[in-house]
Amino acid sequence: MRNKWSEQIFAFWQCRIPLIATLLLVLLFFMPINSVQLNYFRPSMGIICVYYWRLNRPALFGWFSAFCVGFVIDVYSSTPLGTNILLLLALESVTDWPAHYLRTSSFSVRWLIFGLVSLSVLLGKWLFLTLYYWRLLPPAEIMLGYFSTVMFYPLIATINVQIAQRFLPPENIDEQ
Amino acid sequence: MKSHKVWLIQFGELKTFFRRLFIFILFFTAFLTISLSRVDSLIVSAVDKVVIDMTGPVMQVIESPARALHHIYTYFYDISHIYTENRQLRAENKQMMILQNKVRTLEVENQLLSRLLNYVPPPSAKYMSAQIIAESGDNFTHLLLVYIGDKPIRKGQVVMSNESVIGRVDSVGKHFAKIILITDINSKIPVLIERTRTRGILSGNNTAFPELIFTRTNEHIQIGDIVVTSGVGGLFPAGLPVGFVQKVNEDGSVIVDPLADTSRLEYVRIVDYGITPEDEFVADFAEKEDAQ
Repeated sequence: MRNKWSEQIFAFWQCRIPLIATLLLVLLFFMPINSVQLNYFRPSMGIICVYYWRLNRPALFGWFSAFCVGFVIDVYSSTPLGTNILLLLALESVTDWPAHYLRTSSFSVRWLIFGLVSLSVLLGKWLFLTLYYWRLLPPAEIMLGYFSTVMFYPLIATINVQIAQRFLPPENIDEQ
Repeated sequence: MKSHKVWLIQFGELKTFFRRLFIFILFFTAFLTISLSRVDSLIVSAVDKVVIDMTGPVMQVIESPARALHHIYTYFYDISHIYTENRQLRAENKQMMILQNKVRTLEVENQLLSRLLNYVPPPSAKYMSAQIIAESGDNFTHLLLVYIGDKPIRKGQVVMSNESVIGRVDSVGKHFAKIILITDINSKIPVLIERTRTRGILSGNNTAFPELIFTRTNEHIQIGDIVVTSGVGGLFPAGLPVGFVQKVNEDGSVIVDPLADTSRLEYVRIVDYGITPEDEFVADFAEKEDAQ
């Protein structure tokens, strides 16, 4: 009986690893880097991770996970609470329908699609915040952030692949 | 067999319905929180405090190895520059000695004149140091998260680097506080040009160089003029250095370069001038600034 309980608790936490790993990566990229210039090159870790897990392990990274990640980003970055939640939920819905096709495609295709998706998400955020504050936010700095987000994708994808291979259950029992 | 199949189809439809309902609720909550942060900042700041206090210790743990590496780098960097720095410091020291004598004379003169005028000096400030543990992680905001421990920090207090104003306390949790930088789009500080006494508002724009707004264009502002806080509004005391004029555009807008070098900032100083939150004027000003 005790064995069953511990197995269930273990399985529960194992299924939360993508969310925990994403939150840790998000927090890691909030670390002070002591450089005004490098600050503009901070990648949007939330977008990378949500896109990656949505394509590769959708059963382990659902809508609620995206909600949680967006919530933490909102609190840490002091954007109006709900902005990143909304954008990451939108990202989930955008990547929902081509996910099956993209899962079988090559890495370069996924990367290319990521470039387009992240651009639309960041432009959406820029437009939303410009309207919210009713002041034009500097687009140049946001483009720097976009390029670093796209450049960081392979690295973060590699980290996530390692996490998936070492810690996650096999895909056929994801639905449990 | 047939009824079993029908039951399965109905169950599947029900599952899809609940899934869609759940997604709708998540989207609705996102819209609701955006509206709340626009209308009622009290709930939002309460949520902020809880989440920051919960995740702050994790952030400290994540940040500590990076801090150790940074210390090692700084140590070797300082050693490699020790000779040049020493020469600079000697030259500075000579100038400081001359200035010190001047300051002593002026201080005595100031005291005598103050006594003659029955002048009451402003309250002296208390400084509290706080360690930076996180920076805003994207290009949409400019803020810092600092560890304050049990220090009595309040919303609205001035935050300085060693040399100048860098921002103000935005929200305070149990052990952590958020600092909104002067470069952030939500930051607006009443300032004046020290030389011409031209008043204006230093408005952040999410770039490294905030803009001076609400100044008259015919004022003779020059590149290099020092910008200090004006003290208007009561939130920031007057005379604190902020930056210097970097550029005066043809349309009259003035770009300011902050004096603080945030690239080597590990600790900030939170300044307490004894302005209490009970002071209605100050509270009103902070609320208005938030609303803007």
